[in-house]
Order: sequence, then C-alpha cells, then structure tokens
Amino acid sequence: MGQREDGMETGGNRYDVIVIGGGHAGSEAGSAAARMGARTLLITPDLDRIGQMSCNPAIGGVAKGVVAREVDALGGVMGRATDASRIHFRMLNQSRGPAVWGPRAQCDRGLYARAVRRILDGVDGLDLLQGLVVALELDGERVGGVRTREGEVFRARAVVVTAGTFLRGRIHRGGDDPVAAGREGEPPAVELAQALEARGLEMGRFKTGTPPRIDGRTVDYSRVELQESHPEDFRFSAYGRETLPEQRVCWITWTGEELREIVERNLERSAVYGGALAGKGPRYCPSIEDKIVRFPNNPRHQIFLEPEGLHSQELYVNGLSTSLPPEVQRAFLRSVPGLERSRITRLGYAIEYDYFPPHQLRHSLELRVIPGLFFAGQINGTTGYEEAAGQGIVAGINAACAAQGREPVTFERDEAYLGVLIDDLVTRGVDEPYRLFTSRAEFRLLLRQDNAVERLGPRARSLGLLAEWQEEALEERRERRERILGWLADTVVRPEEVNARLGELESTPLSQPVRVLELLRRPELSPEKLLRDLEVGGGVVPFDVTGDVAGAVGVEVRYAGYVQRERERAERLREKAAFRLGEELPYMDFETISYEARSKLEKVLPENLAQAGRIPGVSPADLQNLVLEVRRWKRSGSPQQKKARDAEASSSALPVPRLP
Amino acid sequence: MAFQPGEGNAMEVDTIVAVATPPGRGALALLRLSGPGAFEVLARVAPELARPPSPRRAVLTSLVDPDDGALLDRGLVTCFPAPASYTGEDVAEVSVHGGPLLVAMVESALVSAGARSAEPGEFTRRAVLHGKLDLVRAEAVADLIDADSPALHRAALHQMEGGLSHRLAGLREEVLELEALVMHHVDFPDEDDPPVSVDRVVEGAREVESRLGRLLETAPEGELLREGAVAVLAGRPNAGKSSLYNALIGEERAIVTPVPGTTRDALEARVSLGGYPFRLVDTAGLREGAGDIERLGIEVARRYLAGADLVLLCLPVDEEWGPGEEAFLEERGDTGSIGAPVLLVRTCADRNPGPRDGADRSAPRREEPGSDRSDGGPRVGGALRVSVKTGEGLARLRETAAALVYQGLVTSRTDAPLLTRRRQREGVARAHAEVRAFSRALEMAIPAEAAVSHLKEAEGALEELLGVITTDDVLDRVFRRFCIGK
Repeated sequence: MGQREDGMETGGNRYDVIVIGGGHAGSEAGSAAARMGARTLLITPDLDRIGQMSCNPAIGGVAKGVVAREVDALGGVMGRATDASRIHFRMLNQSRGPAVWGPRAQCDRGLYARAVRRILDGVDGLDLLQGLVVALELDGERVGGVRTREGEVFRARAVVVTAGTFLRGRIHRGGDDPVAAGREGEPPAVELAQALEARGLEMGRFKTGTPPRIDGRTVDYSRVELQESHPEDFRFSAYGRETLPEQRVCWITWTGEELREIVERNLERSAVYGGALAGKGPRYCPSIEDKIVRFPNNPRHQIFLEPEGLHSQELYVNGLSTSLPPEVQRAFLRSVPGLERSRITRLGYAIEYDYFPPHQLRHSLELRVIPGLFFAGQINGTTGYEEAAGQGIVAGINAACAAQGREPVTFERDEAYLGVLIDDLVTRGVDEPYRLFTSRAEFRLLLRQDNAVERLGPRARSLGLLAEWQEEALEERRERRERILGWLADTVVRPEEVNARLGELESTPLSQPVRVLELLRRPELSPEKLLRDLEVGGGVVPFDVTGDVAGAVGVEVRYAGYVQRERERAERLREKAAFRLGEELPYMDFETISYEARSKLEKVLPENLAQAGRIPGVSPADLQNLVLEVRRWKRSGSPQQKKARDAEASSSALPVPRLP
Repeated sequence: MAFQPGEGNAMEVDTIVAVATPPGRGALALLRLSGPGAFEVLARVAPELARPPSPRRAVLTSLVDPDDGALLDRGLVTCFPAPASYTGEDVAEVSVHGGPLLVAMVESALVSAGARSAEPGEFTRRAVLHGKLDLVRAEAVADLIDADSPALHRAALHQMEGGLSHRLAGLREEVLELEALVMHHVDFPDEDDPPVSVDRVVEGAREVESRLGRLLETAPEGELLREGAVAVLAGRPNAGKSSLYNALIGEERAIVTPVPGTTRDALEARVSLGGYPFRLVDTAGLREGAGDIERLGIEVARRYLAGADLVLLCLPVDEEWGPGEEAFLEERGDTGSIGAPVLLVRTCADRNPGPRDGADRSAPRREEPGSDRSDGGPRVGGALRVSVKTGEGLARLRETAAALVYQGLVTSRTDAPLLTRRRQREGVARAHAEVRAFSRALEMAIPAEAAVSHLKEAEGALEELLGVITTDDVLDRVFRRFCIGK
C-alpha cells in the first residue's frame, strides 16, 4: 500500500491504468483498458467535453472510415457514437471498387459527445475524473502514477497520455499575440509538457487549423449546391443497432478569384505565412493560405457547408481552415457564392502544440525509456479523430496488458489499418502531421471497411474486449457469412431466371445453368446488382443482398485472384517479420552497414527484419548485411567477447577460419 | 522467391584475397585484398609500409612472409580505404613480378597474415552488397571481362556505365507513378483536382508496356551478343568446310577460344567475325558414312540447323549444284527446319579464278536464301567465292556473315541498352506481362485498386533485376559465373 509523504493512505487512488485525456484517443484507451478488466481512471480537464469534436463534425472517409470500423470491431466507442449522432452520410469512392469505399458521416457534435459519455458510463471498472495532470509519478524507471494540479496522487502500473493539442498549445489568429490554449476556450497543459520533457524525451512542434463557423441563417441557399445524404441504412458499428437521428443535407460552394486576391494580399498577416508560427502543418488538410500558395493555378477550391448539429444553425465551413486575422476571414468569406452576407459565429484559428516523435515508442505504443507509459493520438504527431481513436484503443489494450503482466498486443500491416498506422509511426517516423491514406497500406484488398469485424472481431473476443451482446452479434455475423457463401456455392441459376437481369447490367447472357458463385465472379456484377429481388430456384434470395456481409463476400468472390495475391505477398512479409531483432543489438558496431542505416536502426530499434526494411535510409544491402551481422553476433555472444576474440585472432597471425 | 534470412551461403565479413591477373607467367601479377582487415593483413606482409597507408598512392615496398620474415619480392602497393573502393570495403592492391611460384607465395603469405582466398565473383558481390554497383552493372562487369568481340565489349561497357540500369530504374519509376496515379484517384475523391480518369491511367500503362516491350525486343540480340551467333558450316563431303573452319578461326586465333563440341559430330569455336561474336560449328563428322548425298542437307538440318543463326552452305567452285544442295534449300523458310539465313559459299576459288569482286556468276539461278530480308544480305547470284589458300573472299565472308546476322539490330544503329542475359530478359518479361495484365484488368472493369496488384508485381520484378530487392538466391545466381578476383 502506497503512502503519501504526509502519511495519508492512498488506497482509493490506486488503479491499474490511468488515461490522461478524454478525446477520441482517451475515450477509446479508457474504455478498452477497462473492458480488458483493468481498473481504469480517465482524468480530463473538463468532463463536459469528453468526446468533443474539436475540428470538423465528421467521422470517416477514405481509409479513415476503415479505421473507425476497426476500432468498432475491437469493441470501441467511435463506431457506436457515430451511428448515434450522424445526421448526414456519404459512402465515398462508390465509383471505384468496393474494396476502397470510405464511409463518412457528418455528426451532431452534441449528440456525438453525449453518446461517447453514455458509452463510457456503461463500461464497468472505468472511473471518470475532472482534473489537470501536472506530473508523472515514477517507480524507479517505470511509471507509477500521476499528480494533479491539486496535488492529489493517483497510482497505476500503466499510464496513457492522450493530450491532443493541449501540450503547450498556442492559438494563432493573424498578427495578434497568440493565446495559450489547448483548444478554443480551454487552457493548455504546460506543466505536463514540461514534466515529459524533463524525462529526456525528444519533442517537436506541429500545427493544425480550423476554419471559421458561420450562422446558417445568413447563407443564401439559392447560390449553393445541395448535397443529399446517401439513403443507406449504413452503420459504422458491426455489433450494435444505435438509432440514427434524422438526416440533414449539406451544401457545396466554391472559392473564386476574389478570395484568392484577398488571401494573397493578406498573406503576411497569416500566422503561418507571417512567420509567427513555426510548427509544421499537415500537407493533406491544408489551410486556405496553403492552398492558394501551393496551387496558384487552381481557379477554385471546393467548400462544404456542414451542419454542426440538429439543433444548431451553425455551419462548419469545411475547406477554409485559416490563421488570418478576423477582418480578413470575414472579407474572404463574403467573396464566396452564397456567403456574401454570412456572419461568423466562431473564428478560424491555427494551433501549434508539442508532439513526441513516435520513433520513441514500441509497437504497443509504450515508450521505450519509460516502461508503463503509453502515448496515443496527436501527441504522436498524427492528425484526425480516427487516427487518434485507433491509437487510443491499441494503447488502452496494451496499458491493461502491462498492468496485468500480459504480453503486448500488436497488429500487423496485413491485419488492420491500425497496424499500418502504428508501424508507419514507429518505424518511419513523422515529419508532418500524419494522416492515413489507402496508399499507405500494401494490402488494401484485405483491409476493407466491410470486413473489419471479420478481421478483428475474433481477436477482440479472445482479448476480452467484447461484451456478451457483442460476442453474440459477432457469432451471428459469422453464421450469416457461412450461410451466404454456402448458398452462393450450392445454388444453380438458370438462363431464363437471370438473363433479363444480366441484360440490364450489360453482362453477357447465360447459355446454360451455372452456380451463382460462378456468375458473381464477373467483375461488373455485385451481389446487390445481381441478386436484389431476383427469383432463383422458385424463391427469392434468402439473405440481405445490400448488407455488409453480402458485400464482403461479393468482394472476396469477385477479386479472389487478387485477394489471393495479396495474401501471398503478406505471407512473404511475415517471413521477414519472423526474423526478430532484439533491442540489445549493438547496431553501431555493425560496420558493414552504412553509417546512416546504423544510426537509424539504433534510433528506431525495429522489432524484426520487416520493420527494419521499412525504415527510410536502410537499403536492401544494409538489410542483407544486418542479417549477417546479427547471425554472427548471436554466434559470438556479446560484442566484448567478440572483440576480444578478434584481437586474439589477429595477433596470432594465423588464418582466420571462415565461419560456417 | 521467399526471403530466407535463416539460411543461404551468406558472405562473412572477413578479408578476402585473390590473384586478379590470369594464371601463368607474366611480367606482372596483381593481387587484391578486400575487407575490414585488409590493411592489417597487408601490414604483416609489407612491414615497411606506413600506417595508415596513404590512400590511392602506389608505394614500392618489401613483401615478406609473415611467419619467418623472409623477403618474397618488392612490389607496388596501393590502398583504397572504404568506402571509396571497388567493393566499398578497405581494398589493397599488390603488384608483384609475374612468376607463378612467386605469385603463389605472396598469396599464401597474405592468407597466413589473416586473409581468406576469395570465391569466384566475391569482390563484385561485395561491391553489390555495399551498394557500389547494382546487379545489372555487376553482370556488365562479367560481360566486359568475357567480351571477345568489339560489339559485346561496347554493349557491356554501356551497361556498366549504367545504360540499362538507368532504363530499368526509369521504368520502375514509371510503374510507381502509375500506381501513385491510381492511388491518388482512390484517396482524394472529393478534393479539388478533378478525379484521375481511367483513360489516363490506361494510357500511362500502355506507354510503360510499350517501353518494356521495346526493351524486351533487344533480348535476342543481347543474348546473341553474349552467347555468339551460331554459324553452321554445311555442305557435301570435301566441300572445304573444315578448311574454311580452320581458316576462319585460325586467322582470329588471338581472340579465339576453341570449345570442344558438345555433340560428338560437331566442332565449335568462338570467333569474332567483322567485329561480332559467332560460334562457328563445323559439321565435319557427317562425312563418315553419310554417303547418301540426297540426304545431306536434311541430315545437317535435323541436327544443328534449327538453332542456327546463320548457315554457310559450302560448294567448291568446280563442282555442280546437285540434289543434296537442292534438298537442303527446301528445308528453308517457314515450312522447313531452317529458319536462319543461308549464305552460299563457293570454296576452293583458287582452282578456278573468277571475277575479282568475289561474286560467282555461275551460281544457280534461284533466289538466294535470306533474300526476303531487307537488311542488305546477299541477293540472287550473290554467292561468295573464297579460297583458304590465297585468302580470296575471306574478309568479305566475315563482313557478310556479320551483316547477315547483326545488321538491322539495335546495337548496330544506336547505343540503346540491351538485355544480355536470361535473368534480365525474364525479369523484364515478367514486368511487361504484369503491366499488360493491369491494362487488361482495367478494360475488363476490374477496379483499379485491385488491378494495381499487377503493378506491384511489375515493380517487384524490376526491383529484383536491379537488386533493389535481393535475396541470397538471386545473388548466388548472378555471381555464380564470375572469375575469381572480380
């Protein structure tokens, strides 16, 4: 039992896992750790802001939507909260193949945050606490707990830091002095940043931004384009059936020549371009200043007007993120068709914050130098809610493992976008805020949104992440999948049953009966297109052809050859991953490896050869030599022994025997 | 090919030594050391040498046996500290006098001092492992050493300078670009840029495919240059084939390596004709028991002619065109077994002095084999008169043979990179097939993000060629045929 210096008993302040922060990373980490059976405390400066969407009110997108569904498959919060709050839905990339569809939802901010709170409140063993953590408590090398501003100490064997943009956050809006803030209207976390820095961790500075929000009553809707919500009854969550709120529309408009002139004229007043802000910003989610500077030939840029919520008239002006002064923001908004008379309700701003270059982490998201301490979210240099949530759930799982003495849990690149995300962070590092893309994944056909639960559900169940009702849903899904596959493989369709449908779909008619599975191999036919309301063998198709499961089966049947190829490539990668590299390897002694590669290897400390090969600056030649060096090093024991033997061999003037 | 980190005859990082000059007596011989201990090994054999030795400067010094200190020779020593050396390791070169015993003694002294005798190709292999050369260039080094014709020498030099490597690297970049185009299309559905159209992707793929195709078309020629074109001497007994064979290889003896025939009834020799490599095959064995003159040409055709690149049909000037020759000519063309051009050679021209230009006006009035070629080969009545006694027509025969086989091929026109090895041809062919499969897949409405897996395979093929991705296995294949000391 720990005792405070003043002798007060602290038994009530003792947890297995403490999570600092209640954003997307923090709520996943807290919920996951508690579901794993760890007594968990989530501390955040403002309990009313748990699950806050601090940037745009949207979840998902290409690649990001897959991550949201992977988090859900692991029993996470994000998918359910999105279903409970989404007021507009689009399945992106529908003109491409289903393997890269990206579900994207506009959410009601208030409903989202409330859903997160509701879900967290429903997790046994998770305590919430309002407070600002100012220091870490250490047990020797290990983390031992946290100290709040009030001086209270909470002890735990594992701590997850999900500080978002709060670490020494500073908000910029044009030439004015920056305001110290973690987010609009909230103070930054300065002491925690200092405490972490004092532990000798490497730090960096990044920036990100938000656009202004406007009063929807001041928009001229006759001058903007309407975008309807897709009608699908789509759910991010594979387990639950949250009730969808009523759906809203969005609007699209475009910037033009006048806006470009206004921004160009005022560039030096932008915090970013005026030099007030040094941190590096995301290339893929650029401010309007960035867009104007970097794409001077682009005559217009698309803007989405997204409702902030069902009961709010505010609109989020997606696409106009900016750090220009208030009067410039007003001026350029008024140059946009439909926004001529718009009134700003909240100004856009840029925020810069501390992050910790993620090569300091293991794949479990535990810091190498401070066992028991985990980082997740923007603190690791990422951008995006989904990226944050994905890291949060992995950090939460591993914090619980660390507290319970279980082996770390990691995900491979062919298993989940989560694996791609974390492996990229740890082995490649970041030099700008990291966002996920499908192009970052090598095994895109395997990592689909429609099969996230097939990929990760069984693992979630065995880790104990799922509630009973989620396990039942998982089992029900598996059975449904087998039924569908069985029906497709066993059912024969006759030409007269299907040729009319094939004609509509511009597919070659049948001349003799075939099994449905064969027919589905045609790339132009999906289960939905082919089988909806189709009578086969005297009855209609006995399953929901529009559902996730049928969709996933369809993809696997149609692209079987390609899916198989990816599996083979993944297998080759796993062979490489089977060559383990211990952290004790004396990389700097491996003189056959280039100096650059040696220093990178020493910095990153890859866990296996496949990871080593992905480190920028490590060439295939270096990799070959690394294999040889490691084998030799293992044979000859410690480097000291090896050196001694080398010295002996060279002094004896005998031929050095060639090692077998 | 699976990566097998657990096995393979991986190179150890010890110091290796080999004699770099050919065996036998010579004015000088060169020994090379490479490895982290090269300078230490050297110091034990050359104790007078300054430590550390001055880089890249030849120093005259005594060479001794490290066991007893006995003087072996005085030699020139040049040191190349890593990484500025051929292998990328510390390298030392030792020039000594070229007596076989002396060279063996110096080599054994270096081994006593801690070096290990190198395996064939091990120096170049180390150069590849240290990123000094890519695999294609390493192969060019081997070709350059083996070059026995100016044409192969030219091609190998160009390849070593990076001509082919650049082309392959450029093609890999183009495939990567294509993949990036597809992925951009997938990743940015709502961005400002208009989506990339499938047409643009298909067009790009076609472009890459045709570039790969053009490179692939150089393979027969490249392999011909490396292997030598097979020129078969055919004709009735006592037609002067063997005399011609001897004359052709004899005149080029300086750069000819006679190779025993792989089949018992043929002699084969490598020879450079008109600057291009040939494997000259004499079908001398057919004289015995081949009395049936009717079947002569067909017999020859069955055995050798199917694989020939050129046939020299010999007939003495003072003998009549006969049914044997007739039967032989019927084997030509698409229907017969002879695909190669046939050059009629009227031998023993000294028996019947003819026109000074060497053309034989008495040749049969028929279309000359190969006249369907548009590459300047001999036409009707264009048979060549040669005499091995007077040397008449031999020069013209060599030029004509070279022209018939090599004229119109890429090397004779341009400096374009050539595929000179089967490994290269197979790699490029794989990339070509995959890029083609990618376009086909798109045309069949298979989504680009699935079809893109073909591009990944194409990248893999090109990367393996260049050694960007390399396994012990590939390395072994490449270095198997190297001579020791390289």
